[in-house]
Amino acid sequence: MSPVVPIGPFHPALEEPYKVEVTCEGERITDASVVVGFNFRGIEWLAERKSYTQDIALLERVCGICSNVHTLMFSRAVEKIAGLEVPDRAQYIRVVIAEAERLHSHLLWAGVACNLIGFETLFMTCFSLREQVMDILERISGNRVNYAMNRPGGVNRDISDPGAVLAAVRTIEKTTSGKLIPIMTGDPTVRARCAGVGVLSRDDALAHGAVGPLARASGLTQDIRRSAPYEAYDKLDFDVPVRDEGDVLARIVVRASEILQSCRLIEQAVETMPAGPIGGPLYPSVPAGEASVRVEAPRGEVFYYLASDGTDVPVRVRVRTPTFVNMPTVPLMAVGESISDLPLIQASIDPCYSCNDR
Amino acid sequence: MDVEALLRKLDDDAPCAPTATGYWAAWPDLDVRAMARLMRENVVRLVTITAVPEAGDALRIIYHWDADGELLNLSTTVMSGHVPTISDIVPGADWVEREIHDYYGLEFDGRSTTPPLMLREGDPPGLFARTRQQGNEADPARTAHAAIAVEEGEPR
Repeated sequence: MSPVVPIGPFHPALEEPYKVEVTCEGERITDASVVVGFNFRGIEWLAERKSYTQDIALLERVCGICSNVHTLMFSRAVEKIAGLEVPDRAQYIRVVIAEAERLHSHLLWAGVACNLIGFETLFMTCFSLREQVMDILERISGNRVNYAMNRPGGVNRDISDPGAVLAAVRTIEKTTSGKLIPIMTGDPTVRARCAGVGVLSRDDALAHGAVGPLARASGLTQDIRRSAPYEAYDKLDFDVPVRDEGDVLARIVVRASEILQSCRLIEQAVETMPAGPIGGPLYPSVPAGEASVRVEAPRGEVFYYLASDGTDVPVRVRVRTPTFVNMPTVPLMAVGESISDLPLIQASIDPCYSCNDR
Repeated sequence: MDVEALLRKLDDDAPCAPTATGYWAAWPDLDVRAMARLMRENVVRLVTITAVPEAGDALRIIYHWDADGELLNLSTTVMSGHVPTISDIVPGADWVEREIHDYYGLEFDGRSTTPPLMLREGDPPGLFARTRQQGNEADPARTAHAAIAVEEGEPR
């Protein structure tokens, strides 16, 4: 009889509560399943019982890493229903914050991946760089986690010291291109642990609706910033890194390349940001209507559906996060692999169970 | 991709112009399995499915698709508490069907099992729907809608 190994929901090797159950022949995984829901907080239900202003604060807490994305999504959905125009300067500021959030998310993930690979010095390098991104976010917003930057119709704070943002981003760019990427893509230790491991085919990625760096590492070119541009993205130059291999190494390469693209986007946005107002009225009324919106979060496409009946409380708030569509692909990647590679394989999708379970 | 031609394969009267949030179409008798097969054949990605409670026991089911960056929001209204599954055609629908079953108790016919996703084994499905059925006193949203009068420019 094949042994079934239950890992989690509470386990020292897992950062968040979830369960992976694997069946093995020797050390080889023959079947795997994922159990989620241990972080379920009923945030959609709660959001349909609070006012639009309260929902901004609530939805910022869907995730501790991509918190900005959720207020951006909710604000954008309200803007669509209410027909609000966002001032140009606010659109550029939204890009700067969104890309800084992507930087800190990718650097956090890279650090965790290095730790799992057993590469402690690179882990330290990643977290040292991430600290500089956190400093940028703190300098702009006053906060390191929940930035409280977005509101329907604009942003809450301006960027008052663009020179400091540019200096920090250029340091990150230099260290990433000169040190991080060469090591992460060429070091024999990294290659031995990651090349050819946890492959997700292009067809499987498409059938499961995988998004973000996971999909782009399996040959899919989708990126909402490019396919359905929002805010100021259509005015800025950037590349969408894509790899065809579909393995853990390809996911590392895609994310590492995206760090450079985010630096490039922040630099352009700060340098070309127009002067002007950063928002409209603080408390716009929301008429009856519905909207569905998407943005490209660090882990991939986030989707919100919002329905209003014209009162101050939305009637339906739907939140679909990237991990929700990426996590079901883990069993596809794990089958046939060694059980010792499972932590790295599941970490390679950069899962967020707080986002997933909401 | 010619989105309008794709939509016309579902219905000759399908909308031919996008709104600010993509294409929207609603059919009371939408054949969801035919829609899923059409989307799969045309390499259109399922973004997610949204359930929206309506008057009585009605549930509006919106299938959101991505066709080369265009967002398609195709919906039908379910009165019976049952709708055919599409998870055997589009594997990406598996988790979201289980989630909707958890929240609203909607049965997706054709699935061999619908294990809970956010709830735990043995929990009754329809968590959100039950709160709604308990009426205004148990549902702060309904009282909040009625009680708060706000004016333009006031905190909401």
